[in-house]
Amino acid sequence: MSEPIVLWGRESSANTQKVLWCLLELGIPFERRDVGGKFGGLDRPEFLAMNPNRRIPVIQDGSLTLWESHACVRYLAAKYGAGTIWPVDLAERAIVDQWTDWVATDYQNGWLDLFWAFVRTPPSKRDAARVADALNWTHRTLKVLDARLAESPYVGGPAFTYADIVSGISLFRLATMGIELPPVPNIDAWHQRLRQRAPFRQAVEINYDELIGREVS
Amino acid sequence: MKILGRKTSINVRKVLWLAAELGLDYEHEVWGRPDRDPNVAEFLALNPNAFVPVLIDGDFVLWESHAIMRYLVEREGRGPVPADIEARALMNQWLDWQGSDLSPSATYAVMARVRKIAGWDDPERIKQSLAGWTRHMNILENTLADGRPFIIGDGFTLADISIGLQVYRWTMIDGDVPEMPNSLAYLGRLLQRPAAAPWMMPATP
Repeated sequence: MSEPIVLWGRESSANTQKVLWCLLELGIPFERRDVGGKFGGLDRPEFLAMNPNRRIPVIQDGSLTLWESHACVRYLAAKYGAGTIWPVDLAERAIVDQWTDWVATDYQNGWLDLFWAFVRTPPSKRDAARVADALNWTHRTLKVLDARLAESPYVGGPAFTYADIVSGISLFRLATMGIELPPVPNIDAWHQRLRQRAPFRQAVEINYDELIGREVS
Repeated sequence: MKILGRKTSINVRKVLWLAAELGLDYEHEVWGRPDRDPNVAEFLALNPNAFVPVLIDGDFVLWESHAIMRYLVEREGRGPVPADIEARALMNQWLDWQGSDLSPSATYAVMARVRKIAGWDDPERIKQSLAGWTRHMNILENTLADGRPFIIGDGFTLADISIGLQVYRWTMIDGDVPEMPNSLAYLGRLLQRPAAAPWMMPATP
């Protein structure tokens, strides 16, 4: 019996939630270790030896140490989820891959920046221009995602895949951070489908009071 | 097969460089401002984000540069992606790092001090961007310090295409920047590849 996978990252971290949700979907044994945020530890030499980029999540699976949340999710999905959350067909998987990259290069730069500017920044220090920019970005990308979900029930296509994981972790915070969003009926329906999955509720619906007004990572 | 996008885009050049590595035949259509505005129905039907590059392969349409690169290598059944799942994971880690850390930190400085586009002239934002870019370049510099020829080790991978193009931009910064000897030696190794050099030219930094 090999050692269980180790996931480094606090459960209130959006990027850690992607890997946590993925591990729970795949049903593989793992241990999660708190680091980052109120737990600190990102500047410890042992952590920097794992990830010189000083960010969570990090996973260890046997001899492999890996960071960047999407690389972790792709690896776990390919190794343990071929035919389930990782489509085997090349063209199907390329579309899943495309939307996964889009979350990193576009979608997340909107909603996660909004979370920083609006939730993690104390009201007295809030920058109205930054909030407005992040809100515009969030609205634009939500409309793209909503249009995508009008044509397929899941982000990557007809079935649940790792593209739903990396994008879906946004839903709980978008619904609870107290910002008015445009009408996105297809995203709302997808959110309800995802809520039926226990791993979503367990990994994503995490109280984030500890992050309110807390500007440091 | 068609590749859509302008050569001044680092993300388009990732795909063009890879196509040269693989020796692919393709048509290149120039899209993107200022040459050809992608905010038109014809382009938005391909990519609703109005971003380049876009790949059209028969009936199949794909966007996001790293997704396109991974697709092309797997479609050809050959190319710079390791067969070993752990090595492939590390390649993807560095690809993601270029896309979500290195490149975004550099964006403002690239516009202001590399491509020198009018309007990108806020001194405070230039300073911030150069600081972030330098911090990420130091991570690359330290990673290469163990003498590895390429970012994940001995073999050239897709991650070297994305990071290499970004290092080339670093060398084209107008202004003083810290010395990065390991990164420059790495860029030198990449430029020795016949498929690489055309995508790292002063006219298209």
